[in-house]
Amino acid sequence: MKKIMVFTVVVALLIPALSFARKAKYEVVEVNNGGGIQGTVKTSLKVKDPVVPINIQPKEDPKETEIERKTCGKTQQAGIYIVSPSNEVKNVLVIVEGVKKGKAAPKTDLTINNNKCRFEPLVSISYVKSNYIVKNSDPLFHNTSLGVLLKDKRRAVYNLALPYQNQEIKKRNRVAGLIDLKCDAHSWMRAYVYSSRHPYVTITDANGNYELKDLLPGKYTVRFWHEGFQEETKEVEVKAGKVSKLDVSFSKTRKPDFLGRL
Amino acid sequence: MEEFRKKCKGVIFIFCFTLLSLVLMSTFQGAEKAYGADKVETGKKVYQKYCIICHGNKGDGKGLVGIIHRVEKSGLVWTLFPRDFTVGVFKFRSTPTGCLPTDEDLLRIVSNGIPRSGMPSHEDVSLEDRKAVIEYIKTFSPRWQEEDPCEEIVSVKKPKWVGSPESIAKGKKVYKKMKCWECHGYEGKGDGPKSDKLKDDWGDKIIPFDFTSGALKRGSSPENVYITFNTGLDGTGMPSYEDSLKEEDRWHLVSYTLKLLGLAE
Repeated sequence: MKKIMVFTVVVALLIPALSFARKAKYEVVEVNNGGGIQGTVKTSLKVKDPVVPINIQPKEDPKETEIERKTCGKTQQAGIYIVSPSNEVKNVLVIVEGVKKGKAAPKTDLTINNNKCRFEPLVSISYVKSNYIVKNSDPLFHNTSLGVLLKDKRRAVYNLALPYQNQEIKKRNRVAGLIDLKCDAHSWMRAYVYSSRHPYVTITDANGNYELKDLLPGKYTVRFWHEGFQEETKEVEVKAGKVSKLDVSFSKTRKPDFLGRL
Repeated sequence: MEEFRKKCKGVIFIFCFTLLSLVLMSTFQGAEKAYGADKVETGKKVYQKYCIICHGNKGDGKGLVGIIHRVEKSGLVWTLFPRDFTVGVFKFRSTPTGCLPTDEDLLRIVSNGIPRSGMPSHEDVSLEDRKAVIEYIKTFSPRWQEEDPCEEIVSVKKPKWVGSPESIAKGKKVYKKMKCWECHGYEGKGDGPKSDKLKDDWGDKIIPFDFTSGALKRGSSPENVYITFNTGLDGTGMPSYEDSLKEEDRWHLVSYTLKLLGLAE
């Protein structure tokens, strides 16, 4: 009789525990003899990187107007399309989607700098539970507004005021997903952060190359995201101890949202 | 004795059976249905009666009444739209930037309404119904299930000197140093050098607040002004000054804001 009772209580406690485990989004395990994915992102299109005009409205104090004009410049090279002579695309986010199990994500903090009225870096990766360090290197007001991009909407993550030079704010990364950054005071400013729970995200280099390591064997979906191209997704199978090749070529451009704000 | 034992077995069996079925029920029905299904159902009815005309049946702010407020001032025209609940972003919170509001925050808005917008007061609706409609509003965005709640900003203790001439003078300096005028203008009229190009997260044109025009949407008490400097107004260009401004300076800024509002000498 006692046994039945103990058994019932244990089962009763286990059922909710199991249902919580089902909700857990990412499980950290040791990965030995995992596989990798490697490839190059190119484009079949001839693209031209636009020059963005910078308009600074005059302020009451002409000195302040002068400081802002000098810091931000008259025009800025947009830096959307950084394409090599052999059509390889830089700054593509390569994201392995829906990973349930794998290595622990790094604990590295991400520094975002407001420098000469641009966000640096333009494209970066942050990890949930690490920190964002937002800096202002300019002698003028910036605000850094982070928002996670939902299907066709934006949800605020943080909107931080950075009114003076050399200011630094540290904030915990609580939200996963593709995040865009904007500054309401300077409509041309933008940047993109992929906030991840797992380490299987990277960015292409100047030769369009990328590499992802230590994945557990299995089938994966890889998303290739770039602000100026229609995104692509590809399926790939990863085998133990091997590197799978996965190249992509962008064939459609897309107008980045910030150009519509100018 | 034998009979007593049998009875005992029966009681234990019933106990075990009830415990198991309760756990199973609450697990598979989901917490929301097991505990709050009735409230959400009532909330839906309340929503359909009072809210749907503006906020729409999908909660996306696209009801029969599209524009709820239209303003023309100094040659500028802008419009206010009903809140889109599907994103789960709210301006008037007691929680830090990027956080969901508390139930009390939502209840305050539902009860008091929002001045200078189309959102009316609903004091006439029973408290029970107002609370129920909040539970229903929370079903429009998955954010309410996915995110952990943030801590409320609780230390809102107004110093005695708020509104004094010295504090107003200090606040004016803070207003300049913190670049409030870049958007809100040199005289607080919402016509600063950056005021022209602002858009909210829905891509709609917005104008910084003109302090000389009257009531603040959140309410014009010193505490309300203070908390906005902390929380920012998510979804708009108004950032949080929680990390950029000392508490004392925030209260001086409150004094200057009250002066601009015509609420302090």
